[in-house]
Amino acid sequence: MAHQAHSYHMVDPSPWPIFGAATALLTTSGLIMWFHYNSLTLLTMGLLSMLLVMLQWWRDVVRESTFQGHHTPTVQKGLRYGMILFITSEAFFFLGFFWAFFHSSLAPTPELGGQWPPTGINPMNPLEVPLLNTAILLASGVTVTWAHHSITEGNRKQAIHALTLTIILGFYFTALQAMEYHEASFSIADSVYGSTFFVATGFHGLHVIIGSSFLSVCLLRLIKFHFTSNHHFGFEAAAWYWHFVDIIWLFLYMSMYWWGS
Amino acid sequence: MGVALPPSRCPRPSAPPLPLPPPPPPEALIAAAAAMASRLLRVGAALRFLPAATGRAAPVRSFAAPGDLATDEEQATGLERKVLEAMNKGLDPYSMFRPKRYAGTKEDPNLVPSITDKRIVGCVCEEDNSCVIWFWLHKGEAQRCPSCGSHYKLIPHELPH
Repeated sequence: MAHQAHSYHMVDPSPWPIFGAATALLTTSGLIMWFHYNSLTLLTMGLLSMLLVMLQWWRDVVRESTFQGHHTPTVQKGLRYGMILFITSEAFFFLGFFWAFFHSSLAPTPELGGQWPPTGINPMNPLEVPLLNTAILLASGVTVTWAHHSITEGNRKQAIHALTLTIILGFYFTALQAMEYHEASFSIADSVYGSTFFVATGFHGLHVIIGSSFLSVCLLRLIKFHFTSNHHFGFEAAAWYWHFVDIIWLFLYMSMYWWGS
Repeated sequence: MGVALPPSRCPRPSAPPLPLPPPPPPEALIAAAAAMASRLLRVGAALRFLPAATGRAAPVRSFAAPGDLATDEEQATGLERKVLEAMNKGLDPYSMFRPKRYAGTKEDPNLVPSITDKRIVGCVCEEDNSCVIWFWLHKGEAQRCPSCGSHYKLIPHELPH
């Protein structure tokens, strides 16, 4: 154990950051090759290496925290700041797409027929599957909070049940959205309506998948006794992320599905 | 590269496991279940008193029954455990908390812990002052801030390890 007079974590040298940077290069140039030259090789390599870097980096974080005890309250505080800042940056990411949506929908151009939804677009009924999806995500917010309370009270069995239910609801949402995408009467190519709709809801769906994966990892760790009733920041971070995903959906629903129809 | 894991503390069987004994009769099973249930209740009751108890008398508990989450007391390791144990004793070896306030007089000087023979002190003479008075504080007699005259004394601080 290092002889230090402070409670911070001086991380051992690690290859994952530079490998992650290489992954970013592979993925971005892979996208270009795919878009312009119809080749998937580079992109596949990029996504595969992204998966490997993420798995190994976060595996190391779990080792450093749960098994080696480096995550003192000081370190945890830093991680909390980090997660909040990250989620804030994601909020700004979505803000951009909402800006694009309102830019085009508040003053529809003549090319769209001067109306929103544009002429010829048949929007989805917000009171059908989208409303169900809203209920599903809201319920999943309740179950994840239930899981959190179970953890702080030391009730492992209930925590596992509640977290599993949350993940199932997340998968249900994703499955329903996939079906909606398949059955939609308009595509991403259908004017700026299609662009704003599918880019915004598409990125949201990606974030649901990311959030579900994060929660699944937490479930695995919960089952393996990694968390204590006092120290379970990985789970809290996943829960924050999940609530954020839920809130973004609420904004999407109210603006694009409901007002925009 | 790979992170070295500490040696496993899980007990390893040194001999092949013995053949299982025949299953106990149902009455014994019920008695065993009742014993376990009463043990759980007693442990649960003891747990409720834990937060009220001072850090000193940590009751020795048997391993939590399956279905319970561990506590930090049971499962923390490494630096996290050291910090937890020190906090329970009211100590702050890793300087995680704000320095204590003293009167700053000759009788009650500001005590400055240091792992070496000298440490830099930054004196904010009055609240909200933006000009911080920096000076080296050496081992030995208390020194005074050149601006406000507040007393500071270096005290030895064990390097925690």
